[in-house]
Amino acid sequence: MAKHRGKGISAIEYPTGMNQNGDPSQAWIKVKPDGRVDVFSGTADIGNGAKTIQSQIVAEAIGVPYDWVTFDNSNTDSSPVCTGTFASRATFVGGNAVLKAAKEVKLKLLEAAGKEMEISPEDLEINDGEVSVKGSPSEKMGVDEVAGAAAYGHGVLITGTGAQLKPYSEITNSATGEVDSPPHSAISYAACAVEVEVDDETGEVLVLEMTQCYDVGRAINPALVEGQIQGGAMMGLGLGVLENSYPYYPSVDHRGAQYNSYMIPSPLDMPKVKTIIIENPSADGPYGAKGIGEMANNSQPPAIASAVQDAVGIWVTEIPITPEAVLKALEAKNAGDDSVRRDGKLVSFDEELSVNTVASGLSWSA
Amino acid sequence: MKAVGARLPRYDGMGHVTGHTRFVDDVRVPGMLWAKALRSPHHHAAIVHMDTSKAAAMPGVHTIVTWEDVPLLEYGHLSGLGIPADEPLLARDVVRYKGQPIALVAADDEETASAAAAAIEIEYEERPALLDVRLAFDEDAPKIHHWGNWYPHFEEEMDVRQIRKGNIDQAFEDADKIISGVYRSSAIEQAPVETQVGLAVPEPDGRLTIYSCTQALYFSLGVVAAHLEVPLNKVKIVGGTVGGGFGGKVDTATDTVIALAAQKTGRPVKWRWTREEEFLASSTRGPWHMEIIDAVTNDGWILGRKMLTLHDSGAYARFSPYGLTKHSFHHTGAYTIPNLHFDGYVVFTNRVPSTAMRGFGVTSISFAGETHMTRVANELGMDPYEIRLKNANRVGDTSPNRIRYTDPSTVDVVKAIANAEGRDLEPALAGMTRATRSGEMLPPHLVDQLDTSEGSH
Repeated sequence: MAKHRGKGISAIEYPTGMNQNGDPSQAWIKVKPDGRVDVFSGTADIGNGAKTIQSQIVAEAIGVPYDWVTFDNSNTDSSPVCTGTFASRATFVGGNAVLKAAKEVKLKLLEAAGKEMEISPEDLEINDGEVSVKGSPSEKMGVDEVAGAAAYGHGVLITGTGAQLKPYSEITNSATGEVDSPPHSAISYAACAVEVEVDDETGEVLVLEMTQCYDVGRAINPALVEGQIQGGAMMGLGLGVLENSYPYYPSVDHRGAQYNSYMIPSPLDMPKVKTIIIENPSADGPYGAKGIGEMANNSQPPAIASAVQDAVGIWVTEIPITPEAVLKALEAKNAGDDSVRRDGKLVSFDEELSVNTVASGLSWSA
Repeated sequence: MKAVGARLPRYDGMGHVTGHTRFVDDVRVPGMLWAKALRSPHHHAAIVHMDTSKAAAMPGVHTIVTWEDVPLLEYGHLSGLGIPADEPLLARDVVRYKGQPIALVAADDEETASAAAAAIEIEYEERPALLDVRLAFDEDAPKIHHWGNWYPHFEEEMDVRQIRKGNIDQAFEDADKIISGVYRSSAIEQAPVETQVGLAVPEPDGRLTIYSCTQALYFSLGVVAAHLEVPLNKVKIVGGTVGGGFGGKVDTATDTVIALAAQKTGRPVKWRWTREEEFLASSTRGPWHMEIIDAVTNDGWILGRKMLTLHDSGAYARFSPYGLTKHSFHHTGAYTIPNLHFDGYVVFTNRVPSTAMRGFGVTSISFAGETHMTRVANELGMDPYEIRLKNANRVGDTSPNRIRYTDPSTVDVVKAIANAEGRDLEPALAGMTRATRSGEMLPPHLVDQLDTSEGSH
């Protein structure tokens, strides 16, 4: 009886935005007479940080401090259409909508400032809440003053709208799955390495270390994207070794109805996680960003399965890899059954799980 | 100070960590009624008789909403895409999963509502349940869904999602080894801290305000308006601040039924699911059954992939056809495989319907494809980094549905992990980039799949 260590890796990809697109996000922005910026977006914040990210994009695009931005996604009367917060689309699709609206606001602010400063708007820039003359930074005026002048002097409402939509990608051949345009907004990539310790007496799989690398396009907020990746790792750990709604399926008994009978990973279960962020900018993303919110829990389970094999020489190909599954596979291995059939160039694993073995309705083979 | 790229504090962070953020269940309005549901105790049964009259007459009970109160009973998650609907808002003559809502009681308090829900007279005739996707196609499988046991409405009314590319037979003939494996993932809970909850408030101007935990305000607006058969300006969804959502709160779980209860009573109605209801009756991540057969060469090229996927949709379709299509588009993972034969089915079972959850459609294939990849490497006696780098998506390679990759990063992320793990890659691999294939990395079997145009994506 012993504990065995093993390592495994994975490399994955994931699309940004709804599959086949056709999923609009829209936003509009107005500026208060003191230059403070109100953003109306339909993007719900499900804990993913959408309010923060979209506010940062607006602050950056206009050139005002982050804390000048108020983000309102509170209702369908004041906010325009947003398809929703899913499909890793809040930063890319929703972010592009607020970016477009913010660029329009900036143009109007520059126009108002040009009028006040008697200079062509093209010769002006905005940084940190101040409009200044390009190449002559001492000639400047606060955005708050400009906004006041627009409201009370010029009689102008400074506002901007933005709409992001990639048209629906049609399947033009249902037999082959060919499409008429790219069915995604972007694709992100990630890789993961884990080290596990498997106890051959209890069957328990302990994940000791995870190293993860994600190409995020551009980290709008590095702290938040690291949080996504680490939170995702926790969910990936649950998928890999813990969670199952129907633990004795096809028996539907023994469903967990509380947090004490349905096990999700707690912070105490978390291994040491190392996060590496790569920024290969997306051509169409706001400031090059891609969506990685969902794929953050996809890379761990296969790396864990491979690490378990590396540790004790068994393949558990049904997740979660529970102690029972490990012990059962170890028992079979010790009895000389390695769950593989070799026939000429064919190497066939897991036949006991195949539809060919279990059922008669679908025939399926190489 | 630049905003983009800065570690700025989370916009709503302080409110969240101090408990001051107002979530849906924190909203209380005067005159509010509380709702509880009657749910199916069976996995599959006919409802042969139901009588709500005694329950409705109980003191403190204001209304009981059943299927008869719903203007448009069936409206599907994918109806907006022109796909037929299969799931009634409240069960009518059949229940297809344990926990399926049948009626909603609105009462003065939750205890009264629960007691009244339990007092509804209902008689079931139990039917056999289907609980294994693999058995769905068998002749003697229980017939559990009016569309048949699997989804029949892909393009051109096909009942299977297919991908075909290249010449799969040739690939299998040319292969040194043919390696097959079976991979399965489980249903899992969404387990948000905030359970499904909603509050519908009738307004003096005849509109309805719905405080919602939805992840998609406009999607929910559309769903509620469709069931109620009213224009979008009759309903206002208030939300945007969600106590944890991983896909399950794209489902419109509470909003429409409480809207009907509010309409019937003229009173605000709140329905908050207990933790048990959240675990046992809310939608789960979908389980997947995946069989992969790869045609490979001794030096680690994957010439072709044959794949069968059965996606367990649970009792109703919800977003599962979308999820399976996404799965099929990504079934080669981060790699370029030129010859493909993929068949996928959305299979109905008598489980709680599955729905979108973080990584929808792809979490499954990431697990199956990547576990299989290491298995193939082991079988060939090859380094798991090398096989991944060799077959990696490269600029100009084409996807399963023939879309040109413009900025794939498989090479970059694998090399970064190798580096972090202290693995010395041989020079040819260490120097590899994402650039278009050439030389040894452009073997004959990958030539035809290349797209040398300069399209965007």
